[in-house]
Amino acid sequence: MLRLAYLYRNLTRNPMRALLTCAAVALPITIYVLSMSVVDGVNRFLDNSARQLRLAVTHRASIINPLPAGYRAKIESLDPTRTRLLSVCGIDWIGGKIEGDPRPLSALGADHDTFIQTFPEYRLTPGEIAEWNRDRRAIIVGAAAARQFGWSVGDRITINPSLPPYQPMEFRVISTAPRAEDPLTLWFHRQYLVEARRQAGWEEERVGFYFIKCASQADLEHFRAAIDALFANTPDETRTQDEKAFMNEFITQQFNLPRNLTILAAVTVFVAVMAAANTMSMNFRDRLNELATLKAMGFRGTLVSAIIQAESLFLCTVGGLLGALGPYLAFNHTPLRDFTVPLIQQLDVRAATCGKAMLIAAGISVLAALWPAWLAARMNVVTALRNLE
Amino acid sequence: MALPISYNWRNLFVRKLSTALTFTVVTVVVFVLAVLLSFAEGIRASLSSSGSRANILVLKPGSTAEGTSIILPEEYARLPQTPGVARGPDGRPLISRELYVQTSIPRRGPGGAPANVAVRGVEDTAFAVHDEVRLVEGRMFEPGALEVIVGRAARDRYRNLELGGEIPLGRLGHRTCRVVGVFEARGGAFESEIWAPLTLLFDAYARRFVSSAALRLEDPAAAQAAVAYVNGPAVNLEARLETDYYRELSAKTREIVVLTTILVGIMGVGAAFAVANTMYAAVDGRRREIAMLRTIGFPRGSIMAAFVVESLLICMAACAAGLGLSLLVNGVRQDFLSEATWTVLAYELRVTPRTLVAALATAGCVGLLGAMAPALRAARTGVIEALRKA
Repeated sequence: MLRLAYLYRNLTRNPMRALLTCAAVALPITIYVLSMSVVDGVNRFLDNSARQLRLAVTHRASIINPLPAGYRAKIESLDPTRTRLLSVCGIDWIGGKIEGDPRPLSALGADHDTFIQTFPEYRLTPGEIAEWNRDRRAIIVGAAAARQFGWSVGDRITINPSLPPYQPMEFRVISTAPRAEDPLTLWFHRQYLVEARRQAGWEEERVGFYFIKCASQADLEHFRAAIDALFANTPDETRTQDEKAFMNEFITQQFNLPRNLTILAAVTVFVAVMAAANTMSMNFRDRLNELATLKAMGFRGTLVSAIIQAESLFLCTVGGLLGALGPYLAFNHTPLRDFTVPLIQQLDVRAATCGKAMLIAAGISVLAALWPAWLAARMNVVTALRNLE
Repeated sequence: MALPISYNWRNLFVRKLSTALTFTVVTVVVFVLAVLLSFAEGIRASLSSSGSRANILVLKPGSTAEGTSIILPEEYARLPQTPGVARGPDGRPLISRELYVQTSIPRRGPGGAPANVAVRGVEDTAFAVHDEVRLVEGRMFEPGALEVIVGRAARDRYRNLELGGEIPLGRLGHRTCRVVGVFEARGGAFESEIWAPLTLLFDAYARRFVSSAALRLEDPAAAQAAVAYVNGPAVNLEARLETDYYRELSAKTREIVVLTTILVGIMGVGAAFAVANTMYAAVDGRRREIAMLRTIGFPRGSIMAAFVVESLLICMAACAAGLGLSLLVNGVRQDFLSEATWTVLAYELRVTPRTLVAALATAGCVGLLGAMAPALRAARTGVIEALRKA
């Protein structure tokens, strides 16, 4: 008890210094929490891709080269019973924009009969599925996209595709996919796109890429090789990857954000260590005679070190708490919730990330107090007391 | 009467550890700022030197980039009538038909991930229209041969693009082309591309249409009329200044600058707190000294200035160190995948005068903000009490 009182007195006798140290630790921790939230978001996205046991089949030469529409039937014929290869979904990217709005969309046309089975993580309600099957102009918009553009279920929207047919296409929003991991993509019937293209005079029907849902990891491995083998030595050879590898290729090309943000987080933690170490070394210097007196009175070196460590731990933990709580509250309970970030669109600051940040703050405190605590433990009482001014 | 600067300088070495730690904190902040900005500066430098103000770029209405645009032969045929188009020595209009495709090439270095590199099919007129493009190594491709020339940035960043290297092109990847030349384009976006004869790409990709057309104007002032003509019913395509097109692509750099400002802003405030902490300690440790200075006649202002100068000395030294460190990344080649074109732009990280100004401003603000409150406390030191305590 007495020791706690001593700790408390020490912390409050230079309140300005305690406050500044807390702040100097809190701000880097804030950056850590923000950066790692982005990284975790990307990883969650990729993990979801991996869990879905899907393969992406693209043209071997380049993703922009479309594949023949007949490939779906050929791939399906690899497993006619549909027990290992559950569904094949042809997909076409049209990008798209809304008239008078510079923000680009990511709209994809998918085979409507297999979309529901291939992308079960959208968890559409039976009503939504019925709507999707009934209306060929149906479109599912990601939750973040819906919020950005102010769309809700039942709205009619017009999208200008960035690819042929280059003419406005009308859709009806049937779901805002609130439970999907991908908050940004828009899905509509590929058949509708094919018809629009045919009307505008684009005859040839080809498909951008295929997504294939497999029953198990073993089947995934099997079909990855089997599909490429099926189309080997044809005019349009394929490149089959699992969905995570497919997505990761795009992400690493975007400034390699996950890796670079991790580096940034590490650098800021380093800054926090420096700032905290500065305070602890100043405290140590100011209280040199006091610590020497304690030792002269018979307190052991370990206790004196522990006092310094405890003070550091307290300062850094409070700093860490403030630094983690700030973004947690801001991104979960204020309008900042709708703030969009590259790649994952929505910053999801989770309690687990904040908890990790607190642990790191504790780690910072240990590092910061290491040198003063060691000095204190080894301090020669006679020299220290003699040096008193 | 001001205190001599050597007084500040020598004071910094009284508390070596504190000074060193504060110095490190500010150095790291400046370093992070400079590195983050060097990404934006590199991209900006590359895209702002892309294109010419005398050129207009024609795309299909609705398409957002060259890669998604399709211009059919009958649409292209309407372009030569555009008013103000320059003519070459042979009297033909300077219009460059271009086909824009992409191919996947691994980056150099171990484990280099594949990148989508742009391949542009061009005719002879392209070199009159894009007059910034000039060969620096090797020779021009021969029409009819399976030969390409590559930009300098692409050669440095991607595998097998050196002179004599071979890359597979074509819809089926079955046309193996040899690199016979390397070109420069004032550091612009073309340098990240591979250029091939248009007929070669027509054949290899089984295309009968082009992606875009670039028109050279006699007078840049006539651009508006030409753009209006192309956008109008006579042609019904979408034209814009080439420079505007690349400015739009550089929108990404604004994102980086915003992100940098937020991150470095937070770090900077943190650093200011660290500096303030150090300066408070310096003030508290020198109360008697300050009182003494006041007694022998130094006014409050000089005392205050002395502490501000001391803080600025640390921060400016740290600024220099941080910038020095950031020079290590200067010139490192990076690339990014543009969301509009789905092809990569290879650029060099650049530490520019703009970075220097931003670093100085940040370090200056950190130093000033950090020193203000402690310096005020120093100036308010009560002379009698401070001396009596001794």
